[in-house]
Amino acid sequence: MSFVQNFPFFSIILAMFSGIVSSVLPGKKARNLSLLMIAVTTALSAGTLFFCLRTGESYTYMMGHFPAPWGNEIRAGILEGATAVFFGVVMFLAVLGGLDHTAEDVEEKKLNLFYIMIDLMLSSLLALVYTNDLFTAYVFVEINTIAGCGLIMIRQKGRSMSAAIRYMIMSQLGSGLFLIGLSILYDITGHLLMSPAKESVAALAAAGDYRIPMLVIMAVIGVGLAIKSGLYPFHYWIPDTYGYATPTASAVLSGLVSKGYIFLLIKIFYRVLGYDNLVSSQMVNVLYVFGITGMVMGSLHAIHETDTRRMTAYSSVAQIGYIYMGIGLGTQPGMVAAVFHIFTHSATKALLFISAVGLYEASGDKKDYISLRGAGYRNPLAGIGFTVGSLSMVGFPMLSGFISKLLFATSALESPHKMLPTLIVLAVSTTLNAVYFLRLVITLYSRRRPEDAPISEVKVRSSWHLRLAILCFIAVNLVLGMSSQPIVQAITDGLAMFG
Amino acid sequence: MEGNMILLLPMLCPIAAGIVVLAGKVFRKNRKYLTGLSVMVLVLEFALALWAVMSGGGLTMLRLTDQLSLGLHADGVSRLFAMLTASVWLLVGIYSVAYMSHEEEEHRFFGYYLIAVGVLMGLNFSANLITLYVFYELMTLTSLPLVLHERSKEAVRAGLKYLFYSVAGAFLALFGIFFLAGVSESLTFTAGGVLNDGALAGKEGVFLISAFCMILGFGAKAGMFPLHGWLPTAHPVAPACASAVLSGLITKAGVLAIIRVVYYVIGADRLRGTWVQNAWILLTLLTVFMGSMLAYKEPVMKKRLAYSTVSQVSYVLFGLSMLNQTAFVGALSHVVFHSVIKNVLFLTAGAVIVTTGWTRVEQMRGLGQVMPKTLACYTAAALALIGIPPASGFVSKWYLASGALSSGTGVWAWAGPAVLLVSALLTAGYLLPLTIQGFFPGHDFKGEEIQKRKLTGKEPSIWMLAPIAALAAAALLFGCFPGSLISMLQSIAASVL
Amino acid sequence: MSEIILALPVFLPILSGVFMLFHQSGKEEWSRKRELFIEGLVVANSLLVAAAIAGGAGGERRLVLFRLYSVLTIMFKLDRMGSVFAGLVAFLWPLATLYAFEYMRHEERKNTFFACYTMTYGITMGIALAGNLVTLYLFYEMLTLVTLPLVLFPLTTEAVRAGRAYLYYSIGGAAFAFIGLVFVLGFSSVGTTEFIPGGMLDLGRAMENKNVLLLVYVLAFFGFGVKAALFPCYRWLPKAAVAPTPVTALLHAVAVVKSGAFAILRLTYFSFGTGFLGGTWAQWVVMSAALVTIAFGSTMAVKEVHWKRRLAYSTVSNLSYILFGAALMTPFGLTAALSHLVAHAFMKICAFFCAGAVMHQSGKTYIYQLDGMGKKMPVTFGCLLVSSLSLMGIPLFAGFIGKWNLARAAFDSGSRLGLAGVAVILYSALMTGIYMMTVIVRAYFPSLGTQGETADGAGDDRKRESGKEEVTDPSWKMTAPLVIFAAAILAIGLHPAPLMSILTMIGGEAG
Repeated sequence: MSFVQNFPFFSIILAMFSGIVSSVLPGKKARNLSLLMIAVTTALSAGTLFFCLRTGESYTYMMGHFPAPWGNEIRAGILEGATAVFFGVVMFLAVLGGLDHTAEDVEEKKLNLFYIMIDLMLSSLLALVYTNDLFTAYVFVEINTIAGCGLIMIRQKGRSMSAAIRYMIMSQLGSGLFLIGLSILYDITGHLLMSPAKESVAALAAAGDYRIPMLVIMAVIGVGLAIKSGLYPFHYWIPDTYGYATPTASAVLSGLVSKGYIFLLIKIFYRVLGYDNLVSSQMVNVLYVFGITGMVMGSLHAIHETDTRRMTAYSSVAQIGYIYMGIGLGTQPGMVAAVFHIFTHSATKALLFISAVGLYEASGDKKDYISLRGAGYRNPLAGIGFTVGSLSMVGFPMLSGFISKLLFATSALESPHKMLPTLIVLAVSTTLNAVYFLRLVITLYSRRRPEDAPISEVKVRSSWHLRLAILCFIAVNLVLGMSSQPIVQAITDGLAMFG
Repeated sequence: MEGNMILLLPMLCPIAAGIVVLAGKVFRKNRKYLTGLSVMVLVLEFALALWAVMSGGGLTMLRLTDQLSLGLHADGVSRLFAMLTASVWLLVGIYSVAYMSHEEEEHRFFGYYLIAVGVLMGLNFSANLITLYVFYELMTLTSLPLVLHERSKEAVRAGLKYLFYSVAGAFLALFGIFFLAGVSESLTFTAGGVLNDGALAGKEGVFLISAFCMILGFGAKAGMFPLHGWLPTAHPVAPACASAVLSGLITKAGVLAIIRVVYYVIGADRLRGTWVQNAWILLTLLTVFMGSMLAYKEPVMKKRLAYSTVSQVSYVLFGLSMLNQTAFVGALSHVVFHSVIKNVLFLTAGAVIVTTGWTRVEQMRGLGQVMPKTLACYTAAALALIGIPPASGFVSKWYLASGALSSGTGVWAWAGPAVLLVSALLTAGYLLPLTIQGFFPGHDFKGEEIQKRKLTGKEPSIWMLAPIAALAAAALLFGCFPGSLISMLQSIAASVL
Repeated sequence: MSEIILALPVFLPILSGVFMLFHQSGKEEWSRKRELFIEGLVVANSLLVAAAIAGGAGGERRLVLFRLYSVLTIMFKLDRMGSVFAGLVAFLWPLATLYAFEYMRHEERKNTFFACYTMTYGITMGIALAGNLVTLYLFYEMLTLVTLPLVLFPLTTEAVRAGRAYLYYSIGGAAFAFIGLVFVLGFSSVGTTEFIPGGMLDLGRAMENKNVLLLVYVLAFFGFGVKAALFPCYRWLPKAAVAPTPVTALLHAVAVVKSGAFAILRLTYFSFGTGFLGGTWAQWVVMSAALVTIAFGSTMAVKEVHWKRRLAYSTVSNLSYILFGAALMTPFGLTAALSHLVAHAFMKICAFFCAGAVMHQSGKTYIYQLDGMGKKMPVTFGCLLVSSLSLMGIPLFAGFIGKWNLARAAFDSGSRLGLAGVAVILYSALMTGIYMMTVIVRAYFPSLGTQGETADGAGDDRKRESGKEEVTDPSWKMTAPLVIFAAAILAIGLHPAPLMSILTMIGGEAG
């Protein structure tokens, strides 16, 4: 066994321990530790990724030396590695970009708490990505929920408390459903590790037993994770939480947390329930319908918002719809497109939230349209960052969004019944995206009117870390948009490893 | 550019002179230069037209594409129209010198007056449909300033109306041209038509629609119902000398275009007996009757004459629609006679306006006391238009009626002459009252106004009277000695039918 | 590597524009040196285009730039049709830039304006030279983006609204065009989206999904049609007339809107192929849409009293002439569409520049204010007269050539709708006569007694009131382009044979 194979486990544990250590550190140190930890775990994940790419296969890793069918397992392959690296990068940039704002939003004494939550969040995300057994998955789902709640309510202002409570309730509902699904599955198959569970599920499916319970399992797990990832119509918690948390939290929550659940869902589909069973049970069609409804409805909601952060939050609802639509196409390319869109959306949405920080700074920390008028001139880099993010969301060629859109569209060509609806909804949704994102972009670059309220405190130049974060996010977007070939190839290979 | 370059001269010479007049500041300041040059050019124009008509031949000016080329030629119809245009334009030009001294911005009037005759010459000599269309559009545009000359709100509105009707007509015609270009090798005018039977097969429906569109479209310029609306508005607002040529000659451009289309491109045989011919006849007769009726009811002199034009030009079109030789001769001769006569009438109206300022017929009671000679000319022309033998109108109407009777067009063969007869009565009804009241105002007429303004015996100047007299004499003489004209027309008719 | 000459005209202006954005010239925002630099750059670029066209006369030249994703490459190719569009744009741009210097003289933020203006040149070139549908789509989207600041330029509420409308419509349209791109890619017989005269669909597979593909074609037609202001997606164009005149004239009469039409021609004749589309319901739908737009646009133009908006509506209708030609789906149809594309470019830019000259000299923007202007600005209105007559379709002017070809093509196609199309075109020509000639008549023959005008020295009263100096023709920078455009209109009208022979060849190979 190569030493590199320990990396996934190390990264999870490292993240957890730094959280624990942070609890006794002052805020600033906790922050630095957190940044360092994220950088290190990202490097570890990168190591794992290269190891998998070199060997060309995945491996499982026992935690605690209980051999299968008992114990806890970790599994690492190309897709897990890539996702972990990507999550690490986005997390790092999001924390970096939001540093100042976090310091303003959070009480001095509680600053270390915020970074504990960040550490725990990363740890749980990595666990969700790497896990190979359902129980570990459940445990980290709960840790994730707690960390998420903490991130939201630590701001202690305005509606963030009620938003946190709403998030908590919805998340618990989702976790509960997920747990019920697990229980039934365990009851039927007697396994919690993914690989043996899959074998028994396949055997049951072949024998034709337990059809209804299997369907219930799929539905319950699917709905549970859908609630947690904010699929339309289970999205009610999204606007408040994303809208009222600190920018870093918003970026992390919308960019990563919901994606972690979706990744878990895909993993369960492939590694436990069996993708073929899912397709034959029509479950994908249900997801498809929810997905395309979400694409349109999310955007429609977003158009009505005047608070730009809530608008961006609603846009997430639409984007989650894209991902579920890709899953729901029920084909391999569709799944590839969905996974690619996980990346795209993480990078883009985080970019939007972070560059919005720069714009708010230049507009007296107001977040409505009117106050933001002309902000693009006051903080040019943030303006460019937001413009790039918006264009990517709209699917402008050369940016990541275009490749996602292209992948969705080409994969749709392979399923004759879903071909036209998919393409037309894609077009409509693109148009709607254009309406609200580009409206904001135009507002950013239009002149303030005399009747507009004067801006109280204008911060013309953002701190270096914000600017660095914005630049890096733009670069990530461009890389995804212009050299997507290897990434798509990696995703395809990774999905093939899921078997 | 190959062929007889002389054909270009009658076109280019006045256009160049017109541009000089418009551009040169000296003509704006010095009236003598302006009028001197204009009259000289018009005389020259007459000579050039004569030269071109005598030398004949053809000329290709410009090849746009393989199918589209601009060319000129002089055949019988061209000769007739060219000479008519040149001579009448000259006489009216002489009249204008005196008449326009009462108007502002003379240089503009004369400038466009000269350009218009050049364009009209081009139209007369056109060798193919495209050339004809080009000059047709240009003529609309260059004659527009004549209508607009007064620049009153009314004049501008009338001018725009004139423009839109003409353009609408031209575009209707263009529809036909588009179609015909596809079913013929070239659109060069050839007696008897140039269409290709093979290409036409299977497209008869569209073909007839196209033909009808062209007749209707070019008919707009000739004031044919239903596109006649502009004529009674536009002609009266122009200065009288402009109305004279507008009514007398420019309406004939529409007639010429229809002759060219029906007899030289499509070929009369293709239309005979079709619904197009029937509809056409119906429209012309409607116009003849309606024009006369409206003229009869109209109290303003120039407007009355304009309505009369509507009616009279449709005599010509009626003759053309009969598609037989006799009626064709009648139609062409009526072109000539009506031009002459209508010019006399309008010029008289202008003379009255200049001398007395009267515009309505009931004001003109006792006109004979003011300008007996002018009124006598008017009367001669009126009689000619009504068709009293031996004046010229009789000759043309005779040919028209006899042509119609022998045309074999069923009900139209007798309905047509009947309408013409009724219209002739109406013509008498709207033209003669002026003569009667002018010379015989009755016992109760005291002529107070005439005495107060010392108008008695105040004929217009000789420069105005002479052209009127010359034209009136022509109107009578053509009727007495129609032989050579008729024989020439008959030879044209024989070639196309 | 002589192929690199294909990429230069695209990237030279784009990069220079970016450079200008980031390099403000010292303290004073604008200098004469910079004007010279821009004009020199634009002229040089046009020469490059000319060299590329002249050098490419032998055959097609291709240049693969890079691979965007798997089979999607960014590629330039100079074929005849591309040459026509590229040559047209290259001819107009230096003149329009010259005009813009004078027009924008008193404006602020000139640097931003000219940077975007110059970038647009490169991007339009990209559309003209695009060798496949993906490249075309890429530049099409970029065009929207880079011209947006130009529409927004006045930064008034009206301009912001116009900019928004422009953006929504364009992006929405592109989203539907994207569907077409995906399907063409999916059903391509060569595996890529490279333009092939006559279409690149794999007919065997395409026939199995015929109706779906036709639907997709219609969607893509309307998608690209947004830029060409096809009914019902035309609204942005009249609104965008709020932009400075050089923008409305060059972009919203030529570069941007013609790009839409050009894209449709590429889509119809070089991607789907007329063999597949001809005679189907899809053809019927798109042709009807074009005809409705023609009639609608010209009718609205008559109703409009704001001069530039009137011209914008006129553009709406004239663009659909081109689309009508495209929808005929015959070789001659393509020839006709292209001939109107070229002719309309000259006459509409000329008309807009006249409007702009009047606005610049006197600030008059409504038609009822134009009484008697013809005498004061003889050169401007002379050019306007030429352009109006050409728009009406009077023979000997360029506009007639376009109309003639379209009508002939429509008759030749033999379809009933084509016949109706001729009627609609003539109706529109009449409307054109009305909406252009009312301006001319007003300018040259103001009716007496309106607004204190007198026959000579009109407008003395107003002059005294406003204290302004007498309105005259603008300086040579504005009049020279006008005169050249007017001359070009006449040249094309009088001697269309060389142009037509090229266009006929294009039609022949692609129909």
